[in-house]
Amino acid sequence: MEDELLRLRREALAGFAAASDLSTLEDCRVRYLGRKGLLSTAMRGLGQASEADRPRLGKLANEVKVELEAALDGRRAELGSQETGRRSQAVPPLDLTLPGRAIPFGRPHPVSQVMAEICGIFERLGFAVAEGPDVELDFYNFEGLNIPPHHPARDMHDTFYVSDGVLLRTHTSPMQVRAMQRQSPPLRMIAPGKVYRCDSDLTHTPMFHQVEGFLVDRQVSFADLKGVLSLFIAQVFSPQTAIRFRPSFFPFTEPSAEVDIACVICGGKGCRVCKQTGWLEILGAGLIDPAVFEKVGYDPELYSGFAFGLGVERITMLKYGITDIRLFYENDLRFLRQF
Amino acid sequence: MKFTVNWLKQYLDVNLTPAGLAATLTRLGLEVEAVERLYPGLEGIMVAQVRSVARHPNADKLSLCEVQVGPETRRVVCGAPNVRAGMLAPIALPGCRMPSGMEIKRSKIRGEVSEGMLCSAAELGLAADADGLMELPDTCVCGDTLIAALGLDDTLVEVDITPNRADCASLIGIAREVAGATGVSLKPPVAAAGPLDSQNSPFRVEVRAPEACPRYAACLLTNVTVGPSPWWLKRLLMAVGMRPINNVVDITNFVMLEYGQPLHAFDFSTLAGGGIVVREAEAGEMISTLDGVERRLSAGTLLICDQARPIAVAGVMGGQNSEVSASTREVLLESAYFNPIGIRRASRELNLSSEAAYRFERGVDPGGTINALERAAGLIEQWCGASRVHGGVDQRAEMPAPPVVTLRVSRAASRLGIELIPSEVAGLLAGIGIESEAVDHDTLRARVPSFRVDLEREIDLIEEIARLKGYDQIPATVPLIPMSLAGQDPSRALRERLAAILLAHGVFEAINYSFISPLAAERLGLAESDQRLRQLAISNPLADDQAVMRTTLLPGLLENLRHNLNRQAREVSLFEIGKVFWPVAGEAQPKEPLRLGAVFSGRLGVGAPVLHYGERPVDLYDVKGIAETIFGQLGIAASFMAPEPPPYAEPGGCLRAVLGNGREIGQLGRFNRETLRRFGIKQPVLFLDFDLESLLGVEPAVKTFTPLSRFPSVTRDLAVVVPEEVGAGLVADSVLSGSFPLVSRVEIFDVYRGQPVADGFKSIALSVSYHSDEQTLDDGVVAREQGRIVEMLGSRFSARLREE
Repeated sequence: MEDELLRLRREALAGFAAASDLSTLEDCRVRYLGRKGLLSTAMRGLGQASEADRPRLGKLANEVKVELEAALDGRRAELGSQETGRRSQAVPPLDLTLPGRAIPFGRPHPVSQVMAEICGIFERLGFAVAEGPDVELDFYNFEGLNIPPHHPARDMHDTFYVSDGVLLRTHTSPMQVRAMQRQSPPLRMIAPGKVYRCDSDLTHTPMFHQVEGFLVDRQVSFADLKGVLSLFIAQVFSPQTAIRFRPSFFPFTEPSAEVDIACVICGGKGCRVCKQTGWLEILGAGLIDPAVFEKVGYDPELYSGFAFGLGVERITMLKYGITDIRLFYENDLRFLRQF
Repeated sequence: MKFTVNWLKQYLDVNLTPAGLAATLTRLGLEVEAVERLYPGLEGIMVAQVRSVARHPNADKLSLCEVQVGPETRRVVCGAPNVRAGMLAPIALPGCRMPSGMEIKRSKIRGEVSEGMLCSAAELGLAADADGLMELPDTCVCGDTLIAALGLDDTLVEVDITPNRADCASLIGIAREVAGATGVSLKPPVAAAGPLDSQNSPFRVEVRAPEACPRYAACLLTNVTVGPSPWWLKRLLMAVGMRPINNVVDITNFVMLEYGQPLHAFDFSTLAGGGIVVREAEAGEMISTLDGVERRLSAGTLLICDQARPIAVAGVMGGQNSEVSASTREVLLESAYFNPIGIRRASRELNLSSEAAYRFERGVDPGGTINALERAAGLIEQWCGASRVHGGVDQRAEMPAPPVVTLRVSRAASRLGIELIPSEVAGLLAGIGIESEAVDHDTLRARVPSFRVDLEREIDLIEEIARLKGYDQIPATVPLIPMSLAGQDPSRALRERLAAILLAHGVFEAINYSFISPLAAERLGLAESDQRLRQLAISNPLADDQAVMRTTLLPGLLENLRHNLNRQAREVSLFEIGKVFWPVAGEAQPKEPLRLGAVFSGRLGVGAPVLHYGERPVDLYDVKGIAETIFGQLGIAASFMAPEPPPYAEPGGCLRAVLGNGREIGQLGRFNRETLRRFGIKQPVLFLDFDLESLLGVEPAVKTFTPLSRFPSVTRDLAVVVPEEVGAGLVADSVLSGSFPLVSRVEIFDVYRGQPVADGFKSIALSVSYHSDEQTLDDGVVAREQGRIVEMLGSRFSARLREE
């Protein structure tokens, strides 16, 4: 019995000390000192103690009760003054003109945003997304794409090399070869990623991002290429954006096309950005050259397909009117916060 | 490729405005880079004849001239040394504006009236030098406008030639395309062919490398008078950006531009042995090329030699030793076909590009060798007073005949997505010189002309059809393709989720170059054994700080951080998700693991209102919290350990996150000051550096439903005093560990040091929730459980219950 009282005392004191506000303290009071509290229950049990022990235990119980009540009052005063203090601070009315407590979100890099938008459009059209290595073999970057050594088309790619036959990919087109080697048609896939060229000025950085896309099946036509790219451009710019396909050359497509949109700055009237032509080049495309199919073991008599590649920075610059491509890689927060 | 509109019109009768011409070329795939009116600002300039020249009374270097402009006579003060009576020169009259923008006024110069200005070619933008007045040829008529007199009403067009269209690196090639597209006919210049039967040749040609030089033709011209070119020739060359040299050289350049066939003129008298040897160089042979550079040749470079020495790098550039000069009387004119690959290799090796090499490496017309030679010989006879020596050489090795390509019209139609009939296709192809005959109702057999070296296969002709028909005539359709579930790269989904979590914490995304300075890893103070010091080097970097592929994301992010701090940013939090590159011994390609890196400095959350969020700078708990959020959101069980800190981290401020199987996910912590100093940063910075490959393989915890309890839980607070070195997290974990089945939740709500807690101790306040799925817990049960907890804490952490 004595132990029981002493344990109650210890627990109650600890409970009061730990109580961090008045309501917790009140809970604690009810538990130990309430009418049906643990101490009252214990005191009711005194009746069962032996005659000899009863007075001593009764005295002890009273002492415990007095001590606990004193501790309770002390703690209550302590917490009470704290809470009054707090309440008095809260008294002024709300200032409804103060800014709200906005959660300060970060922003994705503009290139990531546009990349995600581009990929999203093609994913909605059912294209798979795959990525390949940045450090690529000559075969995938050039030979597999019908660009043999000493082909003048290699001049179109200022290539970084890491060793003989190993280079930083100059475009995302190697994924065409990799994907077609792995899978048989029908195939529709986009390959976003970083590409590299030894070039640096207002409109070129030595690293930039491309999205490659390709689709292979029986009976895929140049008209299909026009249709898919027109859908894409209407989404990424606007359905009113005029589009122009004009002949060009890539060793891995034939017929090849460059795709222009009406200048987003002047609307096609001619300005400095579009070099007075009214048009801006935004991507290269074409029907996949039969020579590429032969390299990957597809029968060009049976299958046809189209491929396209677009520069993400270029589209981002046009969308937002950014004039210096190098800003993308300084990661200046004054720049990043704008998108 | 540059040309002028008037020049092009010499080869076809077409009435196109410069803008219309540009649109036609673009539609054909000849991308127009520029359309510029030539000689702007010359509208007011007239042709004047100087009648008399007298000395200016008040100035030594000035003359007083009387000039005739049409019917009028004017007095003009002139400072040019070459002014003389009788000469024809351009004059700017009062009211006229010069190309520079200066307006000419009637004025007094040193007291003498001047009614206009006689002009130099430089003042008119017609030449680079300004050696006195421009002398006009006698053919000009006094009083005409200069534009009419010199044929200056012209427009420059520049087109970008794709590498496959060697034939369009020539005026005739471009004219042929325009003719095909507009339906007019091509009028190539007529060049009389003389016999080139080596029989009677006055010189010998020996081709020792027929593979590299399948065709070599040459003829000899004597009585050549070398001098300046006629104005029409100079004007055209200057208009397209070529410097006139002398009449012979200018004619070879002109014909090259016309036909796309590079020619070379040798001074025959300088050739030892009076003949030509075409052979491959031996390693180390030397030649001084026309640009004045002495070049060492590598073995196999094709050379044009005389009997003693090299006189030209074949197809690339001539040698100084055989250059045509003012004293040249006999010219050996060369027109050849060289193997494109050999020329390209030589041009690369010598780092020497030229108009000739540009054309040879793309492939000149093997059937056009003689036409160009004859055309140039004819012009040299006409303009240099020369006479052609009878005979000449045309050495030919066996060359494959231009292909005959079978074209299925139905195949062309299905590839393009349009309707086509054979007669239409044949007509389109004939327009650009491709003759064809019908084999059956669907098939044509097309003979590819020799100048179209790019056409070999059916698909090549299909492209020609599309081009000639016009890409705008092809409709836009969508492909019919069987539905299938598109695959998704698992790393992509992970990246997107991680980015979303970091963005929600106020961290901005950065993207850095994959290549960095080789010193960047060193700046992190990495130990020699650290894998991150083994970097893949780029053989031809653009800059020293882009010379190796990165093995860690941290240096790039630290650079970004410094960039922002230097631009007055106070709070900078950036993350990057990207590849790093680990070289693998014995493998051509490195491993390219994906990583997440982040740096934090100042307050977390750029631009968060200070009023609400305070000034507190980011600390380790923020970064650990981000890591915990990541693991929580991904459903990954990970734990933290305090590791031996990496060399760039502050001791005691670094954590390692590991998966249940012990694999490291990455580290987070505070950079030490030494590292930050090396990156030029003065304020504290925290980092997070995770290997995403480690997260990719992890199966997230299976989500299973637990029925919601009908019984309430009971919460009790508990304050214990423990020695300082006891981790509060471990104390809380021990309560939740499973030894106390009724405990459902533990939260540390306060850690307190100071009075009345003794020095070397701290008070940890826990809020413990108890819960049972079988009953409402009564106070006794909870009290007993709490008692057991206190006992456990006492024995395990020497904790005692805090009392007042």
